[in-house]
Amino acid sequence: MTFLNKLSLLFRRRRFDAELDEEMAFHRSQAEKEFLSAGMSPENARYAAMRRFGNRTRIKEHSREVIGFRAETIMHDIRYALRQLGASPAFTLVILLTLALAIGANTAIFSVINGVLLKRLPYQQPDRLVRVFLSNADYPKFPLNPFDFLDFRARNQSFESMAAFSRGDVQLSGEGEPVRLYGFGITSGYFHVLGLHPQLGREFDRASEIPGNGLQAVISDRLWRTRFGADPSIIGRKITLNMQPFTVVGVMPAGTVHPGNVYHSLPYGEDVDVWWPFSFAGDPNRRGSHFIEGIARLKNGVSISQAKGDMNGIMSQLGNEHPNGDKGWAVLVIPLYDEVVGQSRQMLLVLSGAVIIVLLIACANAANLLLARASSRQREIAVRLAMGAPRSRVVRQLLTESLLISFLGGGLGLATAYGGVKALVALLPSDFPRAQDIHVSAPVLVFTIVITIATGMLFGLAPAFQAASADPKEGLQKGGRTTIGSGRQSRLRDALVVAEVSLACVLLIGAGLMLRSLLNQLRLDPGFQRVHVLTASLSLPHATYPKDEPIGRFYDQLAANLNELPGVESAGVGSDLPWTGYDENAGGFTIEGKKPPAGQDFHGRYHMATPGYFSALGIPLVAGRFFTAADKRDAPQTIIINRIMAEQYWPGENVIGKRMSFDDNPKSDKDWITVVGVVGDVKDQPDSPGAKNAFWFPVLQQVWTNDMSVVIRARSDPRLLADALRNEVRRLDPSLAVSDVESMDSIVDSSVSTPRFAFALVGLFAGLAIVLAGIGTYGVISYSVSQRTPELGIRMALGAVRSDVMKLVLSHAAKLAGLGTALGVIGAFAMARLLKTLIFEVSTADPVTFATVAGMVIGVALLAGYIPALRATATDPVNALRSE
Amino acid sequence: MAKPDLLPGTLDMLILKTLTRGPMHGYGIALSIKRSSDDVLTVEEGSLYPALQRLLLQNWVKAEWKMTDTNRRARFYTLTPAGRKQLGIELSEFQQMIAAIGRVLSDAQEA
Repeated sequence: MTFLNKLSLLFRRRRFDAELDEEMAFHRSQAEKEFLSAGMSPENARYAAMRRFGNRTRIKEHSREVIGFRAETIMHDIRYALRQLGASPAFTLVILLTLALAIGANTAIFSVINGVLLKRLPYQQPDRLVRVFLSNADYPKFPLNPFDFLDFRARNQSFESMAAFSRGDVQLSGEGEPVRLYGFGITSGYFHVLGLHPQLGREFDRASEIPGNGLQAVISDRLWRTRFGADPSIIGRKITLNMQPFTVVGVMPAGTVHPGNVYHSLPYGEDVDVWWPFSFAGDPNRRGSHFIEGIARLKNGVSISQAKGDMNGIMSQLGNEHPNGDKGWAVLVIPLYDEVVGQSRQMLLVLSGAVIIVLLIACANAANLLLARASSRQREIAVRLAMGAPRSRVVRQLLTESLLISFLGGGLGLATAYGGVKALVALLPSDFPRAQDIHVSAPVLVFTIVITIATGMLFGLAPAFQAASADPKEGLQKGGRTTIGSGRQSRLRDALVVAEVSLACVLLIGAGLMLRSLLNQLRLDPGFQRVHVLTASLSLPHATYPKDEPIGRFYDQLAANLNELPGVESAGVGSDLPWTGYDENAGGFTIEGKKPPAGQDFHGRYHMATPGYFSALGIPLVAGRFFTAADKRDAPQTIIINRIMAEQYWPGENVIGKRMSFDDNPKSDKDWITVVGVVGDVKDQPDSPGAKNAFWFPVLQQVWTNDMSVVIRARSDPRLLADALRNEVRRLDPSLAVSDVESMDSIVDSSVSTPRFAFALVGLFAGLAIVLAGIGTYGVISYSVSQRTPELGIRMALGAVRSDVMKLVLSHAAKLAGLGTALGVIGAFAMARLLKTLIFEVSTADPVTFATVAGMVIGVALLAGYIPALRATATDPVNALRSE
Repeated sequence: MAKPDLLPGTLDMLILKTLTRGPMHGYGIALSIKRSSDDVLTVEEGSLYPALQRLLLQNWVKAEWKMTDTNRRARFYTLTPAGRKQLGIELSEFQQMIAAIGRVLSDAQEA
């Protein structure tokens, strides 16, 4: 009822006002008559009536409030605020741009955090999923042995279900060009553990784990649609994988996400196209080789530490049962979530810290601008208070203004974030988890609205209360020419600038440390020559290359043919490439005439190479020779080792000609292998602490894998050789697919992509922060100069020269900058430890960075103070005094 | 002379009660309250007109422009049946409250 009445009055507002006016005029005239008849003079009677009636405008406003909707007064405030903003476009532009950048940056980073850290993993009850690894002193995180896995699966009390998987890419042929597809060998129940179900068919059962039953496949939705036309009768069909017929038993739905793995790692994502049954072949008592990875679902109510205890109990039983392979290992049980996002969490936390700092600086700037404006609006506010506006109404009006500003800024920020998120995702390092989950989504919008309101409140409250608490009489008397409450207010403004400068300082120091770390990584001698090198991988199907000998012959022949190509300086084939995350099992061996220290063995990473491999990669020869065509199958066995292994096991000796053996009991000469060369060290990853012992066999003498990498050193742009490489492979075997064709340059670049990305963003935010802090300093100094014009005029009239005035103003800026920088340096000292895992070979208290940043911040602040100082020295004393 | 403020919430009731005597304009209502309270209660115009708008919105009074005895146009307020009912409710609530206050005060005197 009330609502309807209000609604009808809404459309008759003008009439309502007119009637109210007439009614009140009538009331006044009646009162006037009363006073007249009481004997007052007409004039006195009129004034008495008016006095008694009181403030007409206020009565009208009250009456209007009764009949009006609350929203109407808010709309009124908003219209008023818009007029105010339009009246000072420069102020509005600076404040809106500042807020748009700050809120946009926060929204963009939150989109990443929401997609990567907050969104649930796309599995059933993902918080119950764990990864299982082994660990010992040499290998902190290692895959499982297949037979260990079978024992774990059979004996554990903690898991509802457990499965294992191992990377094994496959080549699909038959229709069209052969292609290499990402594949995994999986045990039965792998998808059951994840809580995923095939959209067609079924997943593998226990029978498929028996050797000989392995010719089955589950394929991805993508492969089903792109290669098989979404054929609904695909189940039971045979497809050719690795030159063998596999029967399709299942098709997974779209959105089947690979949980990521560490051994021949493939990052979390939807990249896997084929799953084949992992079969447990070989002697179950040999527990030495580790190449499958465990995943399990915790039973309800079982904690991670309980599961860990359970598994380690089993591991120590296994250590007793199989002392040769299972002794000395501990079991790691790691939540899947930590495994997926663990690496990126630290970086995201640092980035969100950086954008929050930017937002705080933007708030301080906005508050300062509003404070400056509030003092020039003192007269307006004093008039409103004198007219009877309640203080709460003035506070509401001013808060409406700051909220309006923050919402306009937030809207622009959201638009910035839309573009920013796209750019961010494009810039993300290629191994960054869950990049496909990063969007400006509903939770992100909520976040933006919340920070927008919080921002408006944060920068609006202090100025609003300060303005409304002013004494109207004072405000009217001073007439807005001079500041009111200037002592307290200028202290607040100075404090805000000090805070801004110190926050910007913290951010710049962080960015500086990251830049030093990045430069260290880029300057690092990688141990190989990165330019003009083309790389690719090949995999020989087991069906056509079942034994070592044809594999070795194929790769040796390919390398020889590639070396003959025009434009090729040297070419070779090896079991792996530097910096590609290869983490091969390390083998133990015997060294002729030496005994390992008690409780240890001689060990090193094993690799294979053709003669041209080292020169193609540009890995230097330290002693002896590279492999040659003479290192044939029937020739005496040879080996090349790296420098660190030579120094560790043959310190001070000439290692060339020394012999080692992989036989437990070497007897005859043919059991011994002779070291013929020592090559330079290459670390696993650019930021690895040091190189590991490593050795290489010639491919013609030792081969145990079908997968190898090709390396070609070109005379010019190596990418021009990609087609020639494909031709040469096809000439030898037309059924083979060449994959991962990439220049060594891009491999090196992507190995530093994470630190580069982190630095680029933190550096961007730090740059933004220092610009904002500079604007803030400029604003405060130039405001104080304008307020002090009369004072400066008097000083100059009394004989102060320009340099005195300059000094006076600059010393104010220097004081603020000095204090801010000091606080910033202390803050950075405390916070730089958070960066520890993100920076490489730089101390978190790096004096160069700290000193450079401190100098830079003070420089920027002085520059920001210099412009108003220049203006101050140009003050004409006469004008300055007159203006008072 | 300092005049006691109206008890909060009683203005609406006083206006409704005054209007039981017949249609009246704003000035008349103020005057009538003042006279019947022997000049103790003064209705401030600042509260009177917003209160009248409130009563109009609730449909407890209705307003009509009419001519006064002196031939001037004025807005006259009339009590509606709903207003009469509301007055009854407010009166009984008010009397209950007065009685309660009285009891508390007399207890306090005895103690």
